[in-house]
Amino acid sequence: MTATTTSALPVNLGDGPFAVSTAGLVKRYGSSTALNGVDLQLPEHAVYVLVGPNGAGKSTLLRTLMGLVRRHAGDVNVLGADPGLEGGHVRGRIGYVPEDHRFGYSWLTVGQLLEHHAVYYPSWDPAYARRLTEMYDVDPDKKCHTLSKGQSRRVQLILALAHRPPLLLLDEPTDGLDHVVRDATLSILSEHLADSPTTVLISTHRVYEVEPLVDHVGVLSDGRLLGQLPRGDLRGSLLRYSADVPERWSLPKEIGGRVVNRRGRAREIEWTVWGDRDEVTRGLSQAGATVREVASLSVDEAAIALFSGEEAGS
Amino acid sequence: MQIHLSRSDERPLYVQIMDGVRRGLVRGTLRPEDPLPSVRDLASELRVNPRTVSQAYAELERDGVVQVRHGKGTFVAPEVRPDQRERPRLAKQVARRALADASRNGLVLEELLEALREIGERESPGDDTKEDGR
Repeated sequence: MTATTTSALPVNLGDGPFAVSTAGLVKRYGSSTALNGVDLQLPEHAVYVLVGPNGAGKSTLLRTLMGLVRRHAGDVNVLGADPGLEGGHVRGRIGYVPEDHRFGYSWLTVGQLLEHHAVYYPSWDPAYARRLTEMYDVDPDKKCHTLSKGQSRRVQLILALAHRPPLLLLDEPTDGLDHVVRDATLSILSEHLADSPTTVLISTHRVYEVEPLVDHVGVLSDGRLLGQLPRGDLRGSLLRYSADVPERWSLPKEIGGRVVNRRGRAREIEWTVWGDRDEVTRGLSQAGATVREVASLSVDEAAIALFSGEEAGS
Repeated sequence: MQIHLSRSDERPLYVQIMDGVRRGLVRGTLRPEDPLPSVRDLASELRVNPRTVSQAYAELERDGVVQVRHGKGTFVAPEVRPDQRERPRLAKQVARRALADASRNGLVLEELLEALREIGERESPGDDTKEDGR
C-alpha cells in the first residue's frame, strides 16, 4: 500500500503552545528511512491520535520523543527539553506505554515493580496506584515474566498513569486487552484527563476504540505526516460527497486538486474532498452533478481514504 | 437521563450529548432544577474526553437550558419550558435527518411527507426495526 497523495490536508497547527514539537525529524535504519522530515505539533493538553499503516514510523516517532532512539536530523522538543540530550530528565516526566509487552525487570513481582517506580518518580501517587491496581484486578505477587499480554498491558498502563505525568505517550494502549478491560481503560483515561491536566499522544491501529477521547489527528505514512489537524476540522472539512452525474461528465478543476479519494461507477460517484462544504457542493452542482449526500468521516474512514487515494482526482 | 453516543451518528459527540439532554427534557425524564452528572462522571460513563462534556454543558448554558452553579454542579435551568422551545427544535432535527436520508435515496419532499403520513397512521411508534436508517 503506497500513499501517492499530495498532502491536501493541513499539517500546521499554528503557534502552539505545544507540549511536544519536532521539526524536520529524520530517523534512518540502515538504508531505510523510518521518519522522513516529520514536523509533529502536539498542542498542550491535546489528546492526539497518530494513525498510519504498519511501518509508517509511529513507534519510532514515540521512541524518539522518549530519547530511546537517536535521530539523524531535525529538532525535537519534549516539555521544553531535548530528549536526545536530557533523556533521563524527559523520561521522568512522561508516562510511556511501549509497543512491546515485555518488561526490563521480568524477575520482579508486579508489586516490586510498582515500588521501584514509586521511588523513581517523585510525583508517584500511591493511592492512585492502588486504585488502578484494584480497578485492573492485577495481582501484585505475580512475577512480571509470567504475565499474559493483556495483564502486562494493564501493568504498563498503571505505571504510565500513576505518577500523573504531564505527558502520556501510549503506543497501542489497548493492544491485548479484551473488550471489558478496554472500555474500563477508556473510562480510566477519561477520569484521568478530568483530574490531571495531561497531554496525550496515542499511536494505534484501532482508532475507533479511542476516537471518542481524541481531539487532534495526525496521519503518518511512509515516515511523513499527510495531515495534522484538530478532529473538528477533519469532521467539518474532509467530507464524502455522493452524487449522480450525467454522461461524459468531468470534475471541475478547482475541486480536482482537493480530492483525496474517488470511488464509484459510471453515473454515481463518491469523492472524498478536503474543502469548504458549501463551496464544494456548489461546484459539483454547477458542473451538473446532483449531490445526494454529504457525509463526514470517522478518523478510520478518513485515514483509509488518505492511504488508498491513489486514483484521486480522476 | 440516558445519553447514548453512536459511532455511526453524523453529529459531533458534544452535539449528541446536548441532544441527549434535550431529549430528556422533551420526554420529561429530565426536569427543571434537576442536577446533571458531573463532567468527570459523564465523561467516564460515555468514555469521551471530559472537554467534550464541558463543551456540551457550556453550549447548553449559552442556550439557557442548564445553569452551572459554582461548587455545586450543573443543573437544568429553572425556567426551561421544553414545550415551547425544545420540542420544535427536536422535531426540526428529526426532520432534517429524514430529509437528508430521503435526498440520499433520490426522493423528494412530497414523497417523504406522503410516506410519513401513511405510516404514521398505521404503524406503532418506536418500531424502527423495519428500517435501520441507512
